[in-house]
Amino acid sequence: MRNYFRLLGIFYKNTLIGELEYRLNFWANLALSLFWLTWAALSVRVYFFHTDTIAGWSYPEMLIVMGLFFFMNGYRQIVPAPNLSRLSEYVRMGTLDYILTKPVDSQFLISLRHIGVYNWGDPLLGLGLAAYALWRLGRVPSVDQLLLFVLLCVAGMVLLYSFSLILQTPTIWLVNVERVDAVVQGLLETGRFPINFFRGWIRGMLTLIFPIAFMTTFPAQALLGQLNWGMAAAAIGLAILLFTLSSVFWRFALRYYTGASS
Amino acid sequence: MRRLMRIYRVLIQTAWATALEYRAQVLLWILSSIFPLVMMVVWLAVVDEAGPLTGWGRADFISYYVGAALVYHFTFVWTVWQWEEDIRTGDLSPKLLKPLDPFHYLLTEQFGWKVFILLFVAPLVMVIAWASPAIHYPITVAQAAAFGLSVAAGFMLSMLMTSAFGVLAFWSTQVSNLYQLWVGVGSFLSGWIAPLALFPTGIRQVAYWLPFRSTLGFPMEILTDRLTWPEIGFGFAVTFGWCVVFLVLYRIGWRAGLKRYEAVGA
Repeated sequence: MRNYFRLLGIFYKNTLIGELEYRLNFWANLALSLFWLTWAALSVRVYFFHTDTIAGWSYPEMLIVMGLFFFMNGYRQIVPAPNLSRLSEYVRMGTLDYILTKPVDSQFLISLRHIGVYNWGDPLLGLGLAAYALWRLGRVPSVDQLLLFVLLCVAGMVLLYSFSLILQTPTIWLVNVERVDAVVQGLLETGRFPINFFRGWIRGMLTLIFPIAFMTTFPAQALLGQLNWGMAAAAIGLAILLFTLSSVFWRFALRYYTGASS
Repeated sequence: MRRLMRIYRVLIQTAWATALEYRAQVLLWILSSIFPLVMMVVWLAVVDEAGPLTGWGRADFISYYVGAALVYHFTFVWTVWQWEEDIRTGDLSPKLLKPLDPFHYLLTEQFGWKVFILLFVAPLVMVIAWASPAIHYPITVAQAAAFGLSVAAGFMLSMLMTSAFGVLAFWSTQVSNLYQLWVGVGSFLSGWIAPLALFPTGIRQVAYWLPFRSTLGFPMEILTDRLTWPEIGFGFAVTFGWCVVFLVLYRIGWRAGLKRYEAVGA
C-alpha cells in the first residue's frame, strides 16, 4: 500500500512541475473556470424569472447542486477522464502489454497513472459556490450533516470512476471506443440539475443505472439536511458494489486480451 | 466557377467517406450531445410548477428542443480547433502549397459531415417527431423552405465566425479558449438555454441583433411558426449582415496573419 502512494507521488510530481512552468496558462485556466461557474449560476436564473421553486428547489438550493456538478465534473477531468480515455490507445499500440508486465496492479496503473491538471479550479470553485449558496440560505450544516455530505461525495466519486471504467472496459474487445468519455460527460451534464426535475423512467435510470443522482443531488440534500443515514448507507453500498463490479469486469476482460503484437 | 464546383464535389465526397468510416464514433458523439434535451426537461419541470409561460406549454417546449437538438448538429462547426492546430504545429504549410485556399477544405469537410447527419440523423428525428403527439411543427411549404435556408445560413455564419476566430491563432495560443468564451456567452443569447421569447424584452432585443440567434433560435422560431414574414426577413438580414462582417474580419486576419506566419519562418 505504501508503495502505491509513493508511486502516485512520483507520477504526479513531474506533471505538476511541468504544468507550473506555464504560469500564464495556470491563471488563465482559473479565470476561465471562474467565468464558467458564474455564467452557469447566472444562466439558471432564467428559469426563476417565471417561478420561485422548480420541483421543490429554490434558486440557492439549486446552486448547491450546480456547485457539486462543477466539483464532480472537475474531478472527472482530473482523474478518470485523462486515464481511462487512454485505454483505447493502450490496446491499439500494445502499451497494455507493458502495463500488464509491471509488478503493480493493472487497474491501479490504467486508472491513476495520469492526472489532468489544467482544470484544477473547477472542483474548488464548485465547492465555493455550494458554500456561497448555503450562506445565502442562512444555513449552517451540523457536524453530522457535513460528515454525511463528505461520505456521499466520496461515494459519488467512486461511483463516477467505476461507472466510467465499466463503460471503457469493452475497449479490450472493440479496440476503438474513443468517444466513451463523451458519453460519460453527456450523462454527467444531467447532474447540473436536481434529480427531481426528471420524471418517470428517466429519473429511475439516472438514479440506479447511471447513478448521477448520487453524485450531485444527494450530497446537496445532505447539506440541506434533507437526507438520513439510511441514504448514506445505500450510497456507500452502491459504491462498493459498482467498484467491485468494475474491478471484476476489468479482470474478466483482461483474460481476452491477446496483445497487439501476438 | 465550374472548376470550383467540381473540386467541391470531390472534396465533399471525401469528407462523406470519412464520416461513413467513423460512423460508430459519430453516432456516439451524437448520443452524447443530449444537452438540449436536458434543457427541455428543466423547462418541463418549470411548466409543471408554474403552468404555461406566456403561451409556452409542455408541447411547445418539447417541439422546440427536439428540433433544436437537430438544428444544432447542422450549425455547429468545430473548425476553430482545426485552424488553431494547423497554425500552431505548422501543418498549415503543406496546405498553403495546394492551389486552393484552406478555407475551402475546411468548408467541404464540415459539409460532408452535415450530409451524413442529414441522411442518418434527420430521418430518425423526423420519425420521432411524427410518432410523438407532443411534437408539432405547423408550417407551410414556404416556411419549411425558409427554415431550410435559415439552417444553411446559420451553418455558413458559424463557419465564417469560427474562421475569423481561427486565424487569430497566428498571434495567440489561447484561441480555442477565446472562442469557447464567445460561444458560451452566445449560448445564452442563441435560444439554447431558453427560447428567446421567454427573455425580458430588453435582452431579447439585444439578442435579435447579435449573430448567435441565427445559429439556433432563428431557425427554430421559423419551424415552430412564431415569426411573421417581415420578422423572418429581418432575421435573414441580420444573419447575412454578420456573415459579411465575419467574412471581412476573416480575410483581413488571414492576409495579415499569413505575412506573420512567413515571418516566423515556419
